[in-house]
Amino acid sequence: MARAATLGGRLDTMVFGACVTVAVVMSALPDQMREPVAGALRRTLVAPLVGLQRGAERWRAAWLESERQTLQRDSVGMQVIRVRALEVENDRLRRLLGLGNRLTWGFVPAEALHTEGRTEDVVTTVTLTAGSMAGVAQYSPVVSPEGVVGLVQTVDPRLSIAILYSHPDFRVSAMSADGAAFGIVYPHMDVTAGRLSERYLLELRNVPFRNELKTGTQVFSSGIGGAWPRGVLIGTVVSEVPEPESWSRTYLVRPAVNPAHVTSVMILTPQRAQQGVGSVWMSAPEPGASARTTPGAGARGDSARADSARARKDSSVRPDTGRERP
Amino acid sequence: MKSSLALRTAAACAILIVMHFTLRPLLAWRSSIDFLLIALVFGSVRIRPASAAVYGLVLGLAADSLSLGAFGAGALAATIVGFSSSWLKAVFFADNFALNIIFLFAGKWAFDLVYVLMARRMLGTEMLVQLVLWTPLAAAVTALSGVVIIAILRPVYQEKVA
Repeated sequence: MARAATLGGRLDTMVFGACVTVAVVMSALPDQMREPVAGALRRTLVAPLVGLQRGAERWRAAWLESERQTLQRDSVGMQVIRVRALEVENDRLRRLLGLGNRLTWGFVPAEALHTEGRTEDVVTTVTLTAGSMAGVAQYSPVVSPEGVVGLVQTVDPRLSIAILYSHPDFRVSAMSADGAAFGIVYPHMDVTAGRLSERYLLELRNVPFRNELKTGTQVFSSGIGGAWPRGVLIGTVVSEVPEPESWSRTYLVRPAVNPAHVTSVMILTPQRAQQGVGSVWMSAPEPGASARTTPGAGARGDSARADSARARKDSSVRPDTGRERP
Repeated sequence: MKSSLALRTAAACAILIVMHFTLRPLLAWRSSIDFLLIALVFGSVRIRPASAAVYGLVLGLAADSLSLGAFGAGALAATIVGFSSSWLKAVFFADNFALNIIFLFAGKWAFDLVYVLMARRMLGTEMLVQLVLWTPLAAAVTALSGVVIIAILRPVYQEKVA
């Protein structure tokens, strides 16, 4: 038994030695001599395995190619979306440049940074990237090429915060395009559940009962109260709000500006707000995206009106933004 | 070893060899799983050292036939690993998780060491990085994959006790 084990062990060692010798000899052979051996193995024993490997590598190449094509398609899709966004931004900036050209002086360009949820909630304030160092003062009107955006509430050296027309404290003295009907514009707060988008509508209240406004009539700031210059477009009359027991009329107004889309704005300096903006919004070229009709008459020229603080003291004058000032 | 068990072991080895030429190119990892080495160790520990040496030689030559200029290096490495595995298995005579990991890890490292030295394709830092960094990584990946595969194949190669 022990002898058999010894013999087996010797046999193992001998076979191992032989195998090592063969391997070393194969390794030491010149290329011309070992290539026929390697070639014979490739054509017989290894050929099916190489076929399998070729198939696997084709699968991998196809998978990688498919992944690359998917990425390419995604990239193209993203680029198309980006191009569209750039077109919209370009259009806005062009119109803002046009507004700057028409205003000529007395304005501070700024970017509007939305710090609240832009789609889920009602946007009521924005942070503006210009502050007192650029000439922005409290209660400076914030406008866009489309019209009224809001009013600066807090001013820091480099930043300021503005309330938008959707803010509950926002007010602006308004008039119809022909200057016949006057009223005060408030945010539309009385919104039924599930119709949050209506929160962006405005209400033109206190219009004398004798002044009936048709749907589509444009509403401009009247300049009464002083915070807002005369002639900045606010929006368009949508419908009348029925109030049977009232001596005045109230109209729903669709704002000219969508606050969710406001990215670049102009802040009018107090001097400019006092001296008026002329017919900048009335003679503005009609933009393709947000068409609005130029009014036939009304909003006559500039009028340096009294400040809304003074207006509040004088109860006979209808004030702009009706919140307490410090 | 009974003939049915020998057949099952051969089938398992064949599956592993096929996986080397199908799954490995699909994965294309930098430190890839060496299914050939798993097949070599898996088969060697179940046969006599002399047979394991021959098995290693054939497997190594087959693999070498696809790599120009290094013909014989893989064969020598596989012969040494096969014979050593079989001999060490006979000495330790145990089939447990830790021993399989050690066999596979050491086998892969020894294989790469002999192959790199014999093939003489790398020199200096490149060879050092290969042997100290990539080879242990590949050995670890191979060892871990190997024990998983061996665990899966256990019902195939284990003899049923009456």
